[in-house]
Order: sequence, then C-alpha cells, then structure tokens
Amino acid sequence: MFNQERDYNKFTWNDLGDLDQGRPNLGMKIPVLFYRLLQYTWRDVMITELGVDKANEIIIKAGKLAGAQFCENMLNRDLEFNEFVAQLQQVLKEEAVGILRVEKADLENMRFILTIAEDLDCSGLPTTNEVICQYDEGFIAGIFESYTGKLFSAKEIDCWASGDRVCRFRVNLLEDY
Amino acid sequence: MIEESIEKLATLLQGKIPDKIETEIITNEEHRHLATMLNQIFEFMQETHEFIEPLSKGDLHEISMQPKNFLSSPFKELHSRLRHLTWQTEQVAQGDYNQRVDFMGDFSEAFNSMITALDNNEKQLKRKIDELEKALTHIKTLEGLLPICANCKKIRVDDDNPKDQKSWSQIEAFLTKKTNAQFTHTICPECMKKLYPDFSQG
Repeated sequence: MFNQERDYNKFTWNDLGDLDQGRPNLGMKIPVLFYRLLQYTWRDVMITELGVDKANEIIIKAGKLAGAQFCENMLNRDLEFNEFVAQLQQVLKEEAVGILRVEKADLENMRFILTIAEDLDCSGLPTTNEVICQYDEGFIAGIFESYTGKLFSAKEIDCWASGDRVCRFRVNLLEDY
Repeated sequence: MIEESIEKLATLLQGKIPDKIETEIITNEEHRHLATMLNQIFEFMQETHEFIEPLSKGDLHEISMQPKNFLSSPFKELHSRLRHLTWQTEQVAQGDYNQRVDFMGDFSEAFNSMITALDNNEKQLKRKIDELEKALTHIKTLEGLLPICANCKKIRVDDDNPKDQKSWSQIEAFLTKKTNAQFTHTICPECMKKLYPDFSQG
C-alpha cells in the first residue's frame, strides 16, 4: 500500500502505526539528531535529484500533509481561536517540537505572525544566511487549513539559520497572495 | 589605513558609530579585506543600536535586520518574546485565561500565577454574584404589601379574588410556596397555658 503508484496523497495518521505495540521497550521518543538526519539527508538527495525549488516545494507539501493530519488527530478543532492556540502551544511543547509564540493575530483578515523557538528543524544549525524551515512552513499552513477549512500560506521570514535565533512565520489566508 | 581603522574603532568605543572606511582607495589587498570586515562590524553595530533604542522604550514595531548580524540575534529573540507577551496580555485582558508563558524563567512563573489567580478570583466573584442573585430573587418573592386577614391571619395569594375563600391560605403554606423555608409545628408557652393549663404549670 505504501508503494502503490498514485497521483493523490493518501497519508493518514493510521499510517504511523501502533507504537505501543510496535515499540514496547524503546517507546515513542527518538533523539532530535535522528529526526534531522532523516530530514537533511532527504533534502540533500532531493536537491541533487530535483533542484532546490522542486525539493522545497515537496518539503512544503509534505509539511502541509503532516500539519493537517496532526491537527485532525492531536488537536481539538472545535475550540475558539485563542483556546486553540493555547492548546497548540501546549501540545508542541509536550511533544518537544518547539516553543510556539503568537506575536500577532488579526482574526478579521486572517493574518498571523508566529514564532517557534527551539525549533525541531533548525535551532542550532550553522548560520548560512538563508531561511530553511520549509517543512515548518507547510506544517503551520496545514494546521491552519485543517482548523479553519480555508487555504493558508505560511512564509518564514526569520530563521535560526539566517542568524535570527528564532523562526518567525507570516501566516496569511491564501486569497491574500 | 591602520591609523584610520584605530581612529574609527576608538570612535566606536566612545559609543558612536563611525563612518565607513573608504575601501575603494585602499591598494593593499589585505588592508582592503580588513577594512571591509571593519565596515561590516560598524554596520552591524549601527543596525543593533537602531533596533535596541526603540526596544528599550517599549516600541515593538516589526523590524528587519540583515541576516548574520549575530550581535542583534539575542535582541531579536527578546523582541519576539515581548511581542508574544503583548499579544498574550491582550488576550488575558479580554478574559482568556488559557494563555500560559513557557520557558521565560521567573517571569513565566509570575505571569502564569497571575493568570491562575485572575481566573480563580473571577470564578469566585461569579459564584458570589450567583449566590447574591439567588438571594435577591427570594427577597423579591416576599417584597411588597401582603393582604392578611386581621382575624385568622390567612394570607391572600397574589392578585387572586379577595371574595373567593380559595384565594386565602395559611401563612405556613404561603411561605413554603414562596421561599425555601419549611415549618415544624410546636406550641409557644402562652398558648400552652391557654390550651393545656395542666401541663404548663411546671
């Protein structure tokens, strides 16, 4: 099923498997290094095979898929926005994904500025003068899309890798673009 | 060039941002490289200074800074945290007590305790208001003029027909209906004397 040819995404939360059954001794957690090892080797190979733009496009799409499934399965989407954000902040902290902070929320126009500190993807990477959290861009957009039922875009404007010590994202309703 | 660089660095150490060194006129390649790097430091210092000054006055407007300015990055982080706190405080002011500050040391603890205290106080106040409103409702049920029979002390219910005997009820029945009070019957000493003189002597 995983290797089935297809032109649509069919990933669901169930594809992650039953970890209680599958890893009774080793448990749920793995070190961040192994997460990054996976992400940055895939990125490296995708860039050599497909080029930077296509690789980033794929990473964003994957992030979006993950964000939407994460929201659907780990968050209560019936909450009001502020409660939802508080819940998201709590879950991301508990799961050691990052420290979410909302800087601005314009609910009328659906425009937001968020930061993620100690980000799983990039915190501590060497400064390379570029933003590199494309997976987070997709992940955040996916969460917003799943929560609101509308299309969103998340764009990273500051990144640890660009020397900013914090990852800052501008999240807008897609119609704005 | 070295003399000019020392002069510029001295200016910087005196708290002023010096003008950049003119690199185009330097012929020695190593000197030009050094001057370029010094200029970069001056630029970073200027940018950092321009950022911190409004920040120190509480101005949290959006800022843009060139990447790799490592001097500014801790301030950018601080700026981000302050903007987040501002947003959270706004939400708390609107009555949202779900907000929590994470990983900001003693401040997190103080802020989170404040939110919990505000939440508890508001809940307590709401409970008190609720109790008072209920008491007020009881008071209202008994306020105003009550028509009472001068002889048998029966009370006429609300606006019922005064000529209809069914409109009149015993005071116990009236109060039980209007309030949560319940009655238990006994006999006062004076009535005891009248009704049961033999028993009342002791």
